[in-house]
Amino acid sequence: MATASVTKAQVAQPSTEQAAALSAPTRREFLYYIWGASIALILGQTTAGLIWFSLPRFRPGEFGGTFSITGAEVPTAGDAPHSYPSGRFHVSNVPDQGVVALYGVCTHLGCLPKWVATNSRFECPCHGSKYELNGKYIEGPAPRSLDRFVTTLTFGDGTTAVTNATGDPIPLDGKTIVKMDINTGNRIKRSGRV
Amino acid sequence: MSVLPFPSFLDDVKAKGLKKAVFELVDESMERLTAGMNIQDIREALRGEPASRKPNPRLTPHADGFWLHMRPSYFHADMTGLYPTFRLGWLSTYLVFFETITGILLMVWYTPAPGIAYEDMVNIVTRVPLGQLMRDLHRLGAEAMVLIVALHMLRTYLTGSYKKPREFTWFTGVLLLIFTGFLSFTGYLLPWDQLALWAVTIGASMIEATPPAIVGENLNLLIRGGPEIAANGLLRFYLAHVLLLPVLLFIFVGVHYYKVIIHGHSLPPKKENIGEDTAKRVPLDKRVYFIPDILTSETMWLAVTTLILVVLCIWFYDAPLEHHADPQITPLGTTAPWYFLWLQGALKLGDKVFWGLIFPGILLGVLAVWPYLDVTPSRRFADRRIAITIFLLLISFTTILSYMGLAKFGVATSADAEVLYEMTFPPAHNRMGELLPVPYNQLVVGMYTTRQIAAENDDPGNGSSAVNAFNQEVETIMVATADGNATLSLDAWITDLLSREDHLAISGLNFTTVPADAPELKQVLEDFQAKLEAENTELYNGWGGIIISQNQDGLKRADVLVSWDEVQLESGHPVLDENGNVIPVLDANGQPVRRLNRTHIFIHEDGAYFAN
Repeated sequence: MATASVTKAQVAQPSTEQAAALSAPTRREFLYYIWGASIALILGQTTAGLIWFSLPRFRPGEFGGTFSITGAEVPTAGDAPHSYPSGRFHVSNVPDQGVVALYGVCTHLGCLPKWVATNSRFECPCHGSKYELNGKYIEGPAPRSLDRFVTTLTFGDGTTAVTNATGDPIPLDGKTIVKMDINTGNRIKRSGRV
Repeated sequence: MSVLPFPSFLDDVKAKGLKKAVFELVDESMERLTAGMNIQDIREALRGEPASRKPNPRLTPHADGFWLHMRPSYFHADMTGLYPTFRLGWLSTYLVFFETITGILLMVWYTPAPGIAYEDMVNIVTRVPLGQLMRDLHRLGAEAMVLIVALHMLRTYLTGSYKKPREFTWFTGVLLLIFTGFLSFTGYLLPWDQLALWAVTIGASMIEATPPAIVGENLNLLIRGGPEIAANGLLRFYLAHVLLLPVLLFIFVGVHYYKVIIHGHSLPPKKENIGEDTAKRVPLDKRVYFIPDILTSETMWLAVTTLILVVLCIWFYDAPLEHHADPQITPLGTTAPWYFLWLQGALKLGDKVFWGLIFPGILLGVLAVWPYLDVTPSRRFADRRIAITIFLLLISFTTILSYMGLAKFGVATSADAEVLYEMTFPPAHNRMGELLPVPYNQLVVGMYTTRQIAAENDDPGNGSSAVNAFNQEVETIMVATADGNATLSLDAWITDLLSREDHLAISGLNFTTVPADAPELKQVLEDFQAKLEAENTELYNGWGGIIISQNQDGLKRADVLVSWDEVQLESGHPVLDENGNVIPVLDANGQPVRRLNRTHIFIHEDGAYFAN
């Protein structure tokens, strides 16, 4: 009972400080708040503008044109891949699977895996991610297999074949390759370590 | 009645005589310069006598002068020795100063552009007088700073000095640790060699992995200045390293130190009652005045530190400089500096978002707010068993992760590539390839083989006969060419590969014994043989060769070869049969398949600036 009356008393007569803290703003006070909000807005816009200012001017995949190689430069099935450092890709001819152009950058943290002939696989020197000839993940901290570029193969009989949507190697079906076009502007990421 | 038409010094001379007037002038100048101490005050301080006038003139420089205004005018007597702080806070501040000075001096000779930066580095360490010393001091100073700052944090943790009311001081300290880490990271790129480019590429890729994707990718682009780290990236890292991060560091050092002084140095835990903070009320009999005692002891510590750093740099330490940055080749053995090895080890465990960002983020976050989590009042060790246990566990964990971060853990490649790498790799943190330190005049032009060493290990006199036998062997062993249509002698096959693909101008293999006046070259050959013997399961029937040729005036070329019989491998390891032997791979004719791997380096007669 005593507590109830004390509480009621407190609610009924707020102290002057509390009254000051809860009262409606004066005109001056209100204008200060508006000014503060506009300063915050300006700072936000400036920050966005500065980020825009600092973002590099480039085109993603800037080496992102199409590289053409002749059939003679495509390795025979099962051989070591041919590397093209300027295009940052390797061309692999995988027995029973076909030809694929692999993006040479490790999917972990950006180092360049090397083809190690003795172990017949790509090995990344930074944290040890390893991939097979067709780019498939073997072991290591990489989150997915090597990325591939969309390629167009031109065969001796005049037909062409293009990489499918999941980036699988293009089967040769016994045909000979006359030309291979690798589009480094069109990169396919595998969905995982497949 | 002035000497000149206006009052001047000469009036004093006239009134008191020259000697007295000059003395009084100097005396007054000293008092103004030191903001409060005249000649007698200074001499009394240096003699260790108490001040002879009031107010104590040794306090006025603190009250009236800018430089000492934030330094305390006295310390508690229990805080003047090595324990409990080991003066680590002072050392940390000094190292900031040291790095700034050495850094500014290096800026005189450095330009942050890809075609010029590496050239400048070579210039600094070869032609600039004391340049190599300056660069080594800056690099070693950076590593020392990380170490001292980390020890300072550890000490503050162990003495519980982060507890109320010093929680915010600790928090700003963790911020300073983060800035130190970023200063180290941004500075790492500036030499623009292979180690710089690839270590920083890895770090930037970690930042790219920040979720959500739009934040991570844009952060990555902002710091790299492009899809790869090139001219823009180097310039941005340089600006961050010399402007942005030092400004932030200085500001927060100011905040941090101000809070330290406001609260006072926390006393050794045993000397305070639990829950009481007596640091601000230093009793009169426990006061040790800054001038002269603390000032002189601090000066002594910074002199000792500088001496240690200089001695280490002159006789023991060489900062690494590898080959010029090459965005198309990632070398073996790219390691983080030792204080980031734990992070490199963590990254080998799995998902880079978790291990590279979330895990360190949580670690640093908990560290930063630790004083707000640990609110127990006692600073004494006996009352803090849990906190100290957590601390020890964290140290163990970080050490294990650091070991995992070493290059040899989990990233070994095939044995032949590893051996070639160990023979030729450019100077890393404290080692370099076996061939590099050999004096130029001992790199005698010729072809040498590890077969000489293998024979001499049995009997020291067998060397030359073994080499002659080997010359016969390489001409008689036949290998099949790649298309299988012809056979060549091993000699012809190797000569063809070296001359056609590696552009080495030889017409045949002709091995000789190592000349008697080239003992270091002989030692390198012995080390080569030892490495091959260590890998003789994978490098079956292996032998090594070193071919030294004169490439130009003053420039020699060393080709290192490894040849072996191929054995069956699975996942990079040799397959063993039921007797535990390796299984050689045979070709269509039942002959073992011979393999060859090789690399080459160039050695300039003036290039041996790392050979002590």
